[in-house]
Amino acid sequence: MKRRRMLSLALLALAAIVLGCAPLVITKDSSISLLILVLLYVTMASSWNVLGGYTGQSNLGHAAFFGIGSLVTRLLWIGGWPFAAALAAGGCAAIVLAALIGIPAFKLRGVYFAIGTLALAQILNVTVGNLLPEMSYNPAIAGYELLPRYYLFLALALVTVGAAHFLVNSRFGLGMKAVREQEDAAESLGVSGLKHKLLALLVSALFAGLAGGAFAYYHVSYYLNMTFSPLWTFDPMMMAYVGGAGTIVGPIVGSVFFVVVKELLVLNVGEYHLMIFGTLFILTVLFLPGGLVEAWQRLRRLSLRVLASRKTDPLPQGGS
Amino acid sequence: MLESVSQTLVFGILVGALYGLVALGLSLVFGVTKFLNVAHGELLMFGGYASFWAVSLLGLDPFLTIPTTILALLAVGVILYKLLFARMVKLPEETKIKNTLLVGFGLSVILQNLALRFWTADDRGITAAYSSQALTILGVRFPLVRLISLGTALVFLLALHLFLRKTYTGKAIRATVQDWEAATLMGIDIHKVYLLAFALGAALAGVAGTLVAVNYSIEPSMGLNWTLKALIVMVMGGLGSITGTLVGGLALGLTESATSLLLSNNYREVVGLVLFLLILVFRPQGLFGAKEN
Amino acid sequence: MLSLESIDVFYDDLQALWGVSLQVEEGELVALVGPNGAGKTTVLRAISGLLAPAGGRITFGGLDLARVAAHKIVDQGISQVPESGRIFAGMTVLENLELGAFSAEARKSKDRSLEWVFEIFPRMQERMSQRAGTLSGGERQMLAIGRALMSKPKLLMLDEPSFGLAPILVAHTFEMVKKINQEGVSILLVEQNVRAALELADRAYLLENGRIVGQGAGDDLLNYESVRSAYLA
Repeated sequence: MKRRRMLSLALLALAAIVLGCAPLVITKDSSISLLILVLLYVTMASSWNVLGGYTGQSNLGHAAFFGIGSLVTRLLWIGGWPFAAALAAGGCAAIVLAALIGIPAFKLRGVYFAIGTLALAQILNVTVGNLLPEMSYNPAIAGYELLPRYYLFLALALVTVGAAHFLVNSRFGLGMKAVREQEDAAESLGVSGLKHKLLALLVSALFAGLAGGAFAYYHVSYYLNMTFSPLWTFDPMMMAYVGGAGTIVGPIVGSVFFVVVKELLVLNVGEYHLMIFGTLFILTVLFLPGGLVEAWQRLRRLSLRVLASRKTDPLPQGGS
Repeated sequence: MLESVSQTLVFGILVGALYGLVALGLSLVFGVTKFLNVAHGELLMFGGYASFWAVSLLGLDPFLTIPTTILALLAVGVILYKLLFARMVKLPEETKIKNTLLVGFGLSVILQNLALRFWTADDRGITAAYSSQALTILGVRFPLVRLISLGTALVFLLALHLFLRKTYTGKAIRATVQDWEAATLMGIDIHKVYLLAFALGAALAGVAGTLVAVNYSIEPSMGLNWTLKALIVMVMGGLGSITGTLVGGLALGLTESATSLLLSNNYREVVGLVLFLLILVFRPQGLFGAKEN
Repeated sequence: MLSLESIDVFYDDLQALWGVSLQVEEGELVALVGPNGAGKTTVLRAISGLLAPAGGRITFGGLDLARVAAHKIVDQGISQVPESGRIFAGMTVLENLELGAFSAEARKSKDRSLEWVFEIFPRMQERMSQRAGTLSGGERQMLAIGRALMSKPKLLMLDEPSFGLAPILVAHTFEMVKKINQEGVSILLVEQNVRAALELADRAYLLENGRIVGQGAGDDLLNYESVRSAYLA
């Protein structure tokens, strides 16, 4: 176990270094923006995955946390706060929201939790749209620099993935997975379903909220209720699933895949990427619940088996 | 003052009946198959477009396009069921519920983007020759289109009721809802029952879509809002009866109308959702636990 | 007529039946007795197609039932009264009976079947329009049996029809079963009430822990040592 953890940390550090140095090599603003998009999705998909993939609670209201984080951060920042403080406040707002709705929300099981969170996110979406319908402009547009934004998103993605990895491999993570598999059985063994779901929700919400804050920092002008759009739940969710829900690598793979597919298609024929991704999503749910990660593992096992059978001497073999 | 209250009441009822019809298809599917088809709103949207194009290309009166919309959506329902949902019937309860939710959701994404591709993001509406006409009784306006929509909704509610009560197939459906194993012992093919329920649910969504297209407008991303409306109605009216769905629809319609009058038009949407959440959380037996068991 | 040849049945990974073999000939009244949890209901479910045997064969009139879908078993002439009746509580007595004759064949002779059932269970005719959920326990059992008869079965299977009934109703139920058998319907009766079942039956099988451990004519089994000590002491 310790070796695995050292390996994962090493990988994370490597990613940090590679991506950190990327701007030295990549100079086009549009390419940096693309990387930012990937990092944003990685953060959103990984944070969703903590509650959705590992703890098995289909949270259809993830956008609410993204939205509230971005709203609070944006308003405070434009109102004069230093950005770091505004970002922290955005993250806190997301945690507070999660704490408020957590206990009543988890009274609902399965489907009802899903549609309940969906309804909640829509309530916020509509209300914010009503109360603050105007576009939000960034007054400090003159001094806008892309690179700080890039590093913010990079840091956020690394921290989110790292935190998820740490949480999942802890004893707490074991409880989360137990809740996902068989909540009642877990309860009878003394694993508090509610505690695990709540913590997973808080972690999930925190990183979505911070992502929202980063979004507020990144976009020059946008409609304030845009970050409450259900797209910010559905896209990350699909990415997590197609990549491999319930794994650390899955959301990353899914996010990259999503953006790659989108870019490839936009070059050719327009908005097909969501249709294709939706289809992949359904295929994943129906046939390959472990997503691309599982596909990869199966491929590896298959090729290993092929290799192994070639190496053995020509004596009669028993079963596999 | 009295006039605006009566007007509010009337609008609430007219809209409420439409809401009842919107929820009817979803309620039927959920009751029979236990699938919560979150792509219901997208099926409604397709129904609206089917009628829109029938009107544009054939010049029919909007309400006369209902039969073609029904046929189109029946076909769509059958295809979707056989392709996607049929294979999930045999799964254990919890997995089944979760997977059908996810698949339904993926379906809604696909359908939304298909519609976007085919018909662009522009709002479309159907206007009938009489769209601006209204009956005025005692100072209260009854827009003609709304009245006919009310009539249509009631017709379909009644039709489904009679179908379930009086026909052998309808009784088979009710039996399957109550005890599918016992139903199998009677010779009822529950796979056919599920297929029928799903197809009918889609067709009813389609009809509701026509009414929405005539009374409001349609565009590819409208699905989610209408699915939520259907869910709110189901929660308010209780599952298991057609009367309940109508009552739920009327309750939602009147609540929205009252909110418009007392607060502001902007909060119509939100009130329903808030009530929905409150009922979800505080009703002790949970959402649809009540009727049979 | 009905023949189970060494069937094995599993619930997921758990084996419930081991090499169970039994026969019901035309016109016979056969009892399947045994303690709670022996697997008697499992046998009926396998015959009705709700469970697929992992090994062995079930044939009816020579036809291998493995090829027949669960909802088509009724068409073959096998009808089951499941444990506790499982009537459709939200529907009327009449609707329940009508559903018993759901299959296309049975629907043609629905009215005659209805007459027949009302003859055997006049109480059902009185309560025709009543919601089945409001019937008493004994009436529900009657309705369940009547419903199963609506398809004019060649073989009627009953899963513990006396369960939960007052003693006088139990006797009545068994009378009815005998009467139905005398009208030409073969019967496979699963019962925990061993004495009554053995007195009623032409032949009986004893099922314990998923295995047939004894069989013979009803009277013989009544005298069989282990049966006496285990069930009749």
